[in-house]
Amino acid sequence: NLLPNVANNDPASLQRHTGPELSLPCLLDMGFTQTQAEQIFEFACKTSGGSATKHCLSTLTVLFMLGLNPSSVMKVLTKCPILYTIKESLLQERISNLRKLGLVEGSLQRVVVHYPAILTLPVKKIKHVTLFLREKCLFTVQQVTQILRDSPAIMHEDLAQLEYKFQYVYFRMGIKQAEMVKHRLFRSTLEELRTRHTFLERRGLYQTPDKKGQTVIANPKLDSVLNVDLDTFLLAHAANASAEEYDVFRRLVAREWKQEERHHGDCQAE
Amino acid sequence: GKWATSRPKYPPTTLALQHFDVTYSSQLGHLWPSVRVALLSERKYGALLNNFSLNDVEEDLASQGCRDFVTDTDRKEHVSMEQDPEVEFSETSDSTSVEQRDTFGQHQLSQPHLSPTIKCFVFPRGDITRFKPARPDSSGLLGYYLMDAASVLPCLALDVHAGHNLLDLCAAPGGKTLALLQTQAIRFLCLNDSSISRTSRLKKVLQSYLPKELLTREKLRITSFDGTKWGEIEQNTFDRVLVDVPCTTDRHSLMEDDNNIFSKSRTGERRGLPQLQLQLLLAGVVAACPGGEIVYSTCTLSHIQNVGVVEQAIHLARENHGIHLKVVDLRPLAHMFRNTFHFASDVQLGELVIPHLAANFGPIYLCKLKRLS
Ligand SMILES: C[S@@+](CC[C@H](N)C(=O)[O-])C[C@H]1O[C@@H](n2cnc3c(N)ncnc32)[C@H](O)[C@@H]1O
Repeated sequence: NLLPNVANNDPASLQRHTGPELSLPCLLDMGFTQTQAEQIFEFACKTSGGSATKHCLSTLTVLFMLGLNPSSVMKVLTKCPILYTIKESLLQERISNLRKLGLVEGSLQRVVVHYPAILTLPVKKIKHVTLFLREKCLFTVQQVTQILRDSPAIMHEDLAQLEYKFQYVYFRMGIKQAEMVKHRLFRSTLEELRTRHTFLERRGLYQTPDKKGQTVIANPKLDSVLNVDLDTFLLAHAANASAEEYDVFRRLVAREWKQEERHHGDCQAE
Repeated sequence: GKWATSRPKYPPTTLALQHFDVTYSSQLGHLWPSVRVALLSERKYGALLNNFSLNDVEEDLASQGCRDFVTDTDRKEHVSMEQDPEVEFSETSDSTSVEQRDTFGQHQLSQPHLSPTIKCFVFPRGDITRFKPARPDSSGLLGYYLMDAASVLPCLALDVHAGHNLLDLCAAPGGKTLALLQTQAIRFLCLNDSSISRTSRLKKVLQSYLPKELLTREKLRITSFDGTKWGEIEQNTFDRVLVDVPCTTDRHSLMEDDNNIFSKSRTGERRGLPQLQLQLLLAGVVAACPGGEIVYSTCTLSHIQNVGVVEQAIHLARENHGIHLKVVDLRPLAHMFRNTFHFASDVQLGELVIPHLAANFGPIYLCKLKRLS
């Protein structure tokens, strides 16, 4: 029962709330608690006078139409209050674009609840990133959908950074697209990934594959490098490494890389 | 772009790493990955204090959070360790070494005699702060010399006493020479290095650290001879001899492609190193006076270049020169500085500082010999 209790699953009754009136009783009517309703009302009034109340109501409607229940709607708006101020037509357009990209019912709702900021991005921007993923990183359409579903935050990342991360994993670590998607690569920061990989590499436990994709030693799986906590990581791959060593290493390479970047910048400036 | 490379397929640094992976993984066993990552990451320095500079660097360094590792040893812990002579770092322990350590037990573990005027500042364990370059005082002398702090150990082990005659057979660029000079006890010092360009670097270093009065012919001689021939020039002369030989310089070989001993063109030279080291050590032994002491040191982990060379030198000194040598126990020294350095636990002769990320000094090998006849 995702829809607000009073709405009776009747689109017409929802439509009634899209009028210019936003009031506490009408919010209560939608199924919000007293506190939630007060919060929303207060926010709508504070923001840009009367115009916000209008968008506020339409935003609520769009989210309910998506099938979210009041508590999910509240979660979304608390995480991303800027959604109160976005025009209804834009929101609709963005949602239908996500559907077009392959987010089916269920996935779509989950993405919106976990990462509501996805709805703040113009359709053009999302198209740009998905095109980038397909053309520069050669992910398939299905893989792009999966990335969008598992790691929607990718849409906000700097493309140059993203390209670097992809190339790092593809070339330096020798990992193919399917595995990147399967192990949700884009959820991790480049820094953590690079630190762990470099730690293994300098200990002699990870090798960049040659042109034929071969290595002398068997590299650990991406999953066991990426998706485990530090203790598990050290235990699994570096049986004799202490947390002390890893901590010093992390600080050392951070400084190393910062210096390299600075050096790189200097060279380009010349 | 970022991924295109025009480098040769196997640059010398890669060749060095391949070589070390084979030799050191069998030599160090399960310790190798930890040593490997330390070698491939930024090393730590120590600031050798220059007693001749007028600047009050000591206070300045202390305020930055460093300490002089030579004086800052925990004596209380020292006592408790005497009762429990297990190896200092549990991760480096193995059965043979524990046995060996057991035999030297309580009675032999006396404090080694050290020159208190050699001071070397280091940042604490795990601290990766870098030293600022040293500044000159009003007369132009620099306040400290940055070097691998473990390089000070051979100088400490040499145990210079007032009035000693000293030979530093491979002295350039002069870090250890500077440490030895801090004792202000040397009567006469012979500095030698076969490389002329490096000898001139040595001279520049001395000029930046020592007052002119100390750089006179009465106190100092600088030469550029082939050290292996030293015995033909001078025998039975020196109270103390430092033989800090050229070696595979493990750290340098892994980090710099320029001037790398693992480059294809230097294969012959590299293979000849143990022989050259042996000849240099023998020359040092012959140059020492009876009763004199010799310290042999390298900056490699290689067993062949370290223990191997010393073993052969002991043998050949007796066979070819009738000189009997005694290996001086450096375990008390190693024990004393175990909070600053990681020492390997299973070295048959001498002591070996192995790199570790939290204390990224070394590798430095040192072995002390005493001439009996
Ligand atoms: C490890 S470095 C010495 C570092 C120096 N003791 C210091 O602490 O700054 C080895 C030196 O041995 C010198 N060398 C190489 N072959 C030699 C030879 N046959 N006789 C004397 N010196 C030699 C090299 O020029 C090099 O400077």
